[in-house]
Amino acid sequence: MTAFLTFHWGWLVGALLLGLAMGWISVVQHGEGLSKRAVQSIALVVIILIGVAVARVVPGRPGYWLDLGLVLFAAYLIGCAVGSALRDRLVARQMAAGRIPVRTDPPGPPS
Amino acid sequence: MRGLFRWSRKWWPGLIPLAVLWGLAAWYETVPLEQDLAADTAAALKNDVLDKTRIDVAGRDITFSADAFSEEGRRSALTSVETVPGVRLVNDRTRLVPEAKPYVWTAQRDVVRVTLSGSTPLPAIKARLAEAAKAALNGVEVVDQTSFARGAPQRFDAAVLLLIEQVARLKEGKVTLSDKAVSLSGMARELGGREAIWASLRNLPEGYSVAANDIAAPPYVFQANKDPVGGTLTLGGHVPDNKVHDELVEAAKRKFFGEKVTDNLKASIGAPKGFAEAVTRALGALSRLSTGSLEVADREVKLSGDALYDRAANQIRQGLAKELPEGWKAKAEISVKPAAAPVDASVCQRLFSEVLGEARIRFESGSATISADSAGLLDRLAEIALRCPAAAIEIIGHTDSDGDAAANQALSEARAKAVADYLVRAGLPADRFKTSGQGSSVPVADNDTEEGKAKNRRIDFLVR
Repeated sequence: MTAFLTFHWGWLVGALLLGLAMGWISVVQHGEGLSKRAVQSIALVVIILIGVAVARVVPGRPGYWLDLGLVLFAAYLIGCAVGSALRDRLVARQMAAGRIPVRTDPPGPPS
Repeated sequence: MRGLFRWSRKWWPGLIPLAVLWGLAAWYETVPLEQDLAADTAAALKNDVLDKTRIDVAGRDITFSADAFSEEGRRSALTSVETVPGVRLVNDRTRLVPEAKPYVWTAQRDVVRVTLSGSTPLPAIKARLAEAAKAALNGVEVVDQTSFARGAPQRFDAAVLLLIEQVARLKEGKVTLSDKAVSLSGMARELGGREAIWASLRNLPEGYSVAANDIAAPPYVFQANKDPVGGTLTLGGHVPDNKVHDELVEAAKRKFFGEKVTDNLKASIGAPKGFAEAVTRALGALSRLSTGSLEVADREVKLSGDALYDRAANQIRQGLAKELPEGWKAKAEISVKPAAAPVDASVCQRLFSEVLGEARIRFESGSATISADSAGLLDRLAEIALRCPAAAIEIIGHTDSDGDAAANQALSEARAKAVADYLVRAGLPADRFKTSGQGSSVPVADNDTEEGKAKNRRIDFLVR
């Protein structure tokens, strides 16, 4: 796995940055986003794909592309999570300073 | 954590550029990744001994086909491939090199090339044997068609290296090693090659044996040519060693009194059994011819030429076959020299004196048996006697002064008689000859020296 990650580090960094950007935006983005059900469906599909990849069922190049896709997706998710967390902290700090009025939409219970 | 979940619901738009990124990564990285893995796999297999190795990479999966030389080697090679970093799956298409039973190795030599075929156990041995063949067969093309097989007998390479040396000694032929049994056939390149091969095969590794050795050698040839015009006897071809060489040249000098012996003989092993005896006898027969040639090839004696008179031709034809050692064959093509013109008695006397001046009739020591070496001389005397049919001839025996006078007298008489008998057998009428002996009473030289004694032991011809 190390060799795989080393070989594709550039692309992984790309996916990570993409995730960071997406995570950064998502915190202050308006709208509902996907429904809970849709997120669960996506998660289920991803879990199944991970299962397929770990079981090494898909041979040859498609197998490699699946691995690559999942690793990029993982990097993206990490990026998203880190980006969101960082933005959330920043927002929280600014709110505490009272400089910018922030409205989270939709309003929900404090995290 | 709730926040993370809430934000994550808004992360999906990034999946679209992520998908594009994924597509680009797959597009640009698949082939380089495969090439990397192929190179790494080949490097990992560098120390494994394999044949027909093939590495096919699809994505991160490797299809590995190869022939291994042992189960251990096969497993080790497989592990080497499996542990290459980045490899996901290995499709194992390895197998063991087939086992050969019996284990056969062959070298076939023809005029332009040597073809190696059959089985060899390992690439290193195959390369070494091909290299040895090229070195041994200096300049001859070597075609290596051997394939790998397991099950070689112990010390296979040592045995084959020895056999390659033997192939170099062949002009054409085939050498086969089947398990531990060696078979050879064909023709040796040189005289003595067959014997050299036999000698070398004794050095085969323990347990190896010669099942068949049908190597033939080029014929062992000896030639002699009697040329009365040039007055030469030319000896050519081969003799087994220096001792036989000297003996044959000495015999030739005794038998051919009028000819100068030209010696072109070369020593070589490989002579057939009884060679010296057969050649000595055949030279005796040649000495009786006026002109002729002798060719001895292996165990066949071929004599051709002109005898001095009719009966001599018959005697030579029949005598040669009988005189040769067992297993030898004679082929005599003897014609008769046209009879010379008759001459006067006085000319006959002169001719006798000339011939007897050149050589003496030899007898066995202390006996009246004519030596075989004198057959040629006696034939010349008979031929002269035939030219003056009207002349009566007195044959007189003499001895040296050694021994008892009475015994010498008897011996000289008996020897004269023996010579007359020879001439009668040659077809001359017995009543033309009168024999007598004078013992040691009429010496022609000093009896005090060996040389003088030899001159005194003589037969004189007196034409009346």
